[in-house]
Amino acid sequence: MLFSFRWLLLEYAVRSLFRRFGKNFFIFFILSFLIFILSSVLMIAESIKAELNATLKTLPDMTLQRFVAGKQTLIPVSRVDALLEIQGVGSVTPRIWGYYYFKPAGVNFSVVGLDAYEEPYSATMARLIKDVDWTQRSPSPTMIVGEGVKTILRENYYNDFFNFITPEGQTKKVGIAGVFHSDLALEANDLIVLPKQTAYEIFGMNASDATDIVLKVSANVSEIPTIVAKIIEKFPDLRVVTRDDIRVSYQNIFDYKSGFFLALFCVCAFAFFIIVYDKSNALSSEEKKEIGILKALGWDTDTVLQEKFFESFILSLGAFLFGLATALFYVYALQAPLLRAIFTGYSTLKPPFALPYTLSGSMIVLLFLLSVPVYIAATLIPAWRTSIVDADEVLR
Amino acid sequence: MTLTPEIIALLTLDVIFLGLGTLALILSLRIAYRWDYAAVTPLQYRLTKQSTLVAVIIKYIFVLKLPLFLFFIYTCDKLSAVITGAMCASGVVNSIGFGLDLTLFKLFNLYGFGFWLLLHAEDASHVRLAYTRLKLILFALLCVPLFTEIILEIGFFTRLDVSKIVSCCGTLFSAASSSASLSLLFNVDARVWVGIFYLVYTVSLIALWLKSTAGVIVSNTLFLIFALISLIVFFSTYVYELPTHRCPFCLLQKEYYYVGYGLYVMLFTGTFCAVGGGLLASITHTIPYRYWRLSGFFNTAYVVSISAYPLAYYLKNGVWL
Repeated sequence: MLFSFRWLLLEYAVRSLFRRFGKNFFIFFILSFLIFILSSVLMIAESIKAELNATLKTLPDMTLQRFVAGKQTLIPVSRVDALLEIQGVGSVTPRIWGYYYFKPAGVNFSVVGLDAYEEPYSATMARLIKDVDWTQRSPSPTMIVGEGVKTILRENYYNDFFNFITPEGQTKKVGIAGVFHSDLALEANDLIVLPKQTAYEIFGMNASDATDIVLKVSANVSEIPTIVAKIIEKFPDLRVVTRDDIRVSYQNIFDYKSGFFLALFCVCAFAFFIIVYDKSNALSSEEKKEIGILKALGWDTDTVLQEKFFESFILSLGAFLFGLATALFYVYALQAPLLRAIFTGYSTLKPPFALPYTLSGSMIVLLFLLSVPVYIAATLIPAWRTSIVDADEVLR
Repeated sequence: MTLTPEIIALLTLDVIFLGLGTLALILSLRIAYRWDYAAVTPLQYRLTKQSTLVAVIIKYIFVLKLPLFLFFIYTCDKLSAVITGAMCASGVVNSIGFGLDLTLFKLFNLYGFGFWLLLHAEDASHVRLAYTRLKLILFALLCVPLFTEIILEIGFFTRLDVSKIVSCCGTLFSAASSSASLSLLFNVDARVWVGIFYLVYTVSLIALWLKSTAGVIVSNTLFLIFALISLIVFFSTYVYELPTHRCPFCLLQKEYYYVGYGLYVMLFTGTFCAVGGGLLASITHTIPYRYWRLSGFFNTAYVVSISAYPLAYYLKNGVWL
């Protein structure tokens, strides 16, 4: 038989592990801690990627940005008509949006200008403003803010209005009409939506310009590359960002971030495996005696080797399962305090969102491959060295 | 170069294989050179012990290589979402000139090391360890493709460029393919390949029944080759239910219920048991009934399940693709 399985040997290995509890527990503890850190980081990355991909579905088909001298600038709104003439283009909406830096709190608000009669350019935006009475006419302009913005403003004693400072140095008073309640907290938390006219005033922009233009394809999604080519031919200074481009760059960023972490992690793991190698290489006289007795009882080298293999396999598999379980609890039940900062950044207005549960079989395989085989490789040669001990030599 | 967690895992294990493999190679060369079972010298005693280390290392490498092969394909599949133009692993694999060679080397190594383990089991149960020298020389020879594969894999992942536009399987596996041998496959009528496939299968069954070692080895090698060709040219279109979609990699994707993993495991296990058992028989001069029974079972399972696709399609739709 090529790989015969011996249950009694497995039992012997388990008992042998418990007999040297102190030494094995140390290895078990460190190994599960390493696996815990590794799985947490990968799970957080995976989870945020899933959240971003969920919001991605609601984005417009393509976004057009104008570049002058390599820097993004404003697009004349007059180009909208020319774009509508292209076959296959469904709707074209110029957007006016930007960031407003609020100095007292040191945060950036995302300010979006939207008119009541206008069709919202993304499904999320439509959902956000659905419940708010947008059409109410009040003498002064009003805005709708995200929960994070509301909190920050309240901390600075702006309870029902806010004074924007325009580039000309004047104040622009805008009343707070409502607050978003959104499941997609990742994008709505720092958001302020107000009428277009007000947005132009706050940014000090000309009403004939737009920040960028979003474009929807009328029916056939497979026409997107052709439409992109036509737009670029017509306006060479425009850059077209399709939804697919964004998806790819998300994947790249998160693979890069977790890959970078993994590369650092490898150094740490390497140090640990050297300790393991060293520890299992140095046999105590008691262990030597045990092997000697086993050999005298008729065990051959292969059996001892197999027993040693079982030991390291049980130990590393146990540590793997334990580390994985704690990581699951830490990431999804506790929402990964501390570690998620690596991915979400330090911005004050970004944090509150729940990591959605995403655990694929491939992730478990990946974590397994990064832990168990590497540990077994480190114990391979020490195990062999143990197994070739001669009975007469140690028992003498 | 991209460093996704999957690539780092593959590269880490590659480095471990390279280190342990080099150690095993040095030991096995020395053992093969000085081996003398009849000698009662301390040297021979030490060599016997060292040969167990070589065996352990090779077992370790092989046991990991099996799942890693699937993991490699899976990684390429995942990367295909990032690389423009690629829709499945084949686009990613073919984005580097030697990508297909790398995959073939991986496959060859699985067969080679699998056979090594068969020989090792035979050797360990032999009273006089008659095949020790042979198996160690075999390992030294197998090290060449093993190290080539590892070097190619490292080169593959360092050269992989995510911003490059690659071809998808639809153009790679068609008569318009840039590779001359591949386009030849599609210029011949698909029915010819399917005919040869069933013919070779019948021949391999007859060879098993006649217990002819040479017959089993040759017919199963041919069976493997023609099974792959007919899979690309004919059977895969029925899996996808699309006459233009011919690809041996898309089978492994979620959309087709990962059916490819099952099919390939059956095909490779079946042919491996036949060829490995046959080669072993030519060394030990015994008939490896167990392996050949397994081979017959897996090959038949493969033929039945792959034939079920066109048949089911025909029964449902009343026409062939």
